Amino acid sequence: MKKSGAQIIIEQLCAHGADTVFGYPGSAVLPLYDELYKNAHRINHIITAHEQGAAHAADGYARASGRTGVVITTSGPGATNIVTGIANAYLDSVPMVAITGNVDVPLLGKDSFQEVDIVGITQPVVKHNFVVRDIHELEFTLHEAFRIANSGRRGPVLVDIPKNIQTETCEYMKMKPASVEMPKKNFDLQQAVAAIQASKRPYIYAGGGVVASGAGAELLEFSRRISAPVGLSMMGMTALPASYEWNLGMCGMHGAYAASLVQAESDLVIALGVRFSDRATGDTDAYEKDRTILHIDIDLSEIDKNVASQISICGDIKQVLRALLDILPKCDRKAWTDYVSGFKKSQALPHSNDFSPKNIIETTSRFCNDDTVIATDVGQHQMWTVLYYPFAKPRTLLTSGGLGTMGFGLGAAIGGCIANSKKRTILFTSDGSFGMNLNELATAVTQKLPITIIILNNGALGMVRQWQTMFYEKRYSQTTLYRKTDFAALAKAFGAAGYTAHTLSELEFALHNAPENGPAVIECPIDIDEKVFPMIPPGGCVEDIVIS
Amino acid sequence: MDKFTIELIVANRYGVLNRITGLYARRGYNIDSLNVNETADPNFSRMLIVSKGDAAIQTQMVRQLSKLYDVKEVTLMSAVNFSK
Repeated sequence: MKKSGAQIIIEQLCAHGADTVFGYPGSAVLPLYDELYKNAHRINHIITAHEQGAAHAADGYARASGRTGVVITTSGPGATNIVTGIANAYLDSVPMVAITGNVDVPLLGKDSFQEVDIVGITQPVVKHNFVVRDIHELEFTLHEAFRIANSGRRGPVLVDIPKNIQTETCEYMKMKPASVEMPKKNFDLQQAVAAIQASKRPYIYAGGGVVASGAGAELLEFSRRISAPVGLSMMGMTALPASYEWNLGMCGMHGAYAASLVQAESDLVIALGVRFSDRATGDTDAYEKDRTILHIDIDLSEIDKNVASQISICGDIKQVLRALLDILPKCDRKAWTDYVSGFKKSQALPHSNDFSPKNIIETTSRFCNDDTVIATDVGQHQMWTVLYYPFAKPRTLLTSGGLGTMGFGLGAAIGGCIANSKKRTILFTSDGSFGMNLNELATAVTQKLPITIIILNNGALGMVRQWQTMFYEKRYSQTTLYRKTDFAALAKAFGAAGYTAHTLSELEFALHNAPENGPAVIECPIDIDEKVFPMIPPGGCVEDIVIS
Repeated sequence: MDKFTIELIVANRYGVLNRITGLYARRGYNIDSLNVNETADPNFSRMLIVSKGDAAIQTQMVRQLSKLYDVKEVTLMSAVNFSK
């Protein structure tokens, strides 16, 4: 049956289960938006305030659901506006398909109105990208885009579709989604098993790969089986419940003290689905010293890239863990686990009623359940959220790990809220990050999304200020904002509920009264000199840790 | 640093050379020599790329190149001793 290019796009989106897409129309995607209009019963298109917000929403949708996020924009500025969102998805291995319109094929390469080479621009930050110059390639290209985004280590794929391709017609072949299951492999586990059995003080460092492969249960069993405590990368924060006794929390620069210290005491690091980011390892020489590194990852190019491993296995984390669990006997290491449990207990902070970031986050958590999706922006509030929020289930944290994108949070919260059946969603943000993309409040209001936005307002760019305090002799260059924004009034102007809380009871009041059918902004003024501790200075190791 | 040669079989279409050289550029490796020819099958080209780097860099380049969609085969050529 013959279909137009725009109809083929709709059919392929539906074939791949993309029933929710995020985007912004424009000249070069008018034929596609006309088909979206006719197919509104099949595809729910969410119009955002800005293309960047749409890309972050598609990203948040993908993180929360495990499905592919789809973003659609026009050519030129519409396309360049999603570059940050694509790069953000690339750095955190989030499956995304970005569809951009472009000028007619005969106008390509002539600096036409709203023409940019978006394939050239995004090349370093996608798994792959395509320009469709022939209608006969369109169906296969879209099919490939979804396959690539979801196979192996996931990530974004961009498809640039000139306007005339959307109106031309050709035969539609009804291609079904490709299988993205990892083929079953026989892993060579001998060395890994020997190292695990020989180890006296094993330590598991688990990351986003565990969440991506849905291996939380296997990780828990593995940790118990071999009596190894677990430190998490930020991308792996939801791999294990915070309540698990040997979950030490996040490791790295702003990680939990326990995670850093136990790593330094270990004789074997079992790295699962991590890429040894500089923020997680600090000084790699100290990290590798006096211990064996066993690296397991789906992406072969990550093995020995940042940290040299003595033993490595390339494969899907869930498959590898299951294979290991099939042959590994139970191994008690009482001295080691007693040390870890005792150490973790001694680190508990004394209780207080201060209006501190920790208490704000913990108070908010009491209004949430295990399934509540938590989004963050980037900076101090992000680290506090990761340090203090008790995550219980995978995919409940939407945070920009690799790229560190300020302004990610609100778009991501919108996507996450929609993915989670429009249930209560929390965004922890700050005056700096929120200021970047707060225009998406309009989207959250229109879509009636119950997103509670907690703004930790310290009147400064707090994380940069913290570095200026510690490393630049308190020369606060351009980080004190002196803004007079009334966030509660701003929220009301957008049609959202707005509150200001100066105490924990005022925060509780606001959380209690936040509407069910729309967003609420709760501004929480905090001290300008609140800091994130512990902190290992960049390139440092556990001996350099700053506790307060 | 050691010279090394990588042989690639790639899809023969526009933009592929850009993807390959872009990868070298992003990782900061200079290309000393580059040779591209269409193979007997016009769907594919063969590339020979000479650059410098230690064993870790060579392994990393092979693995990064292998991830590119348009790259079908990657071979790290064994060193040829020209002094003989």
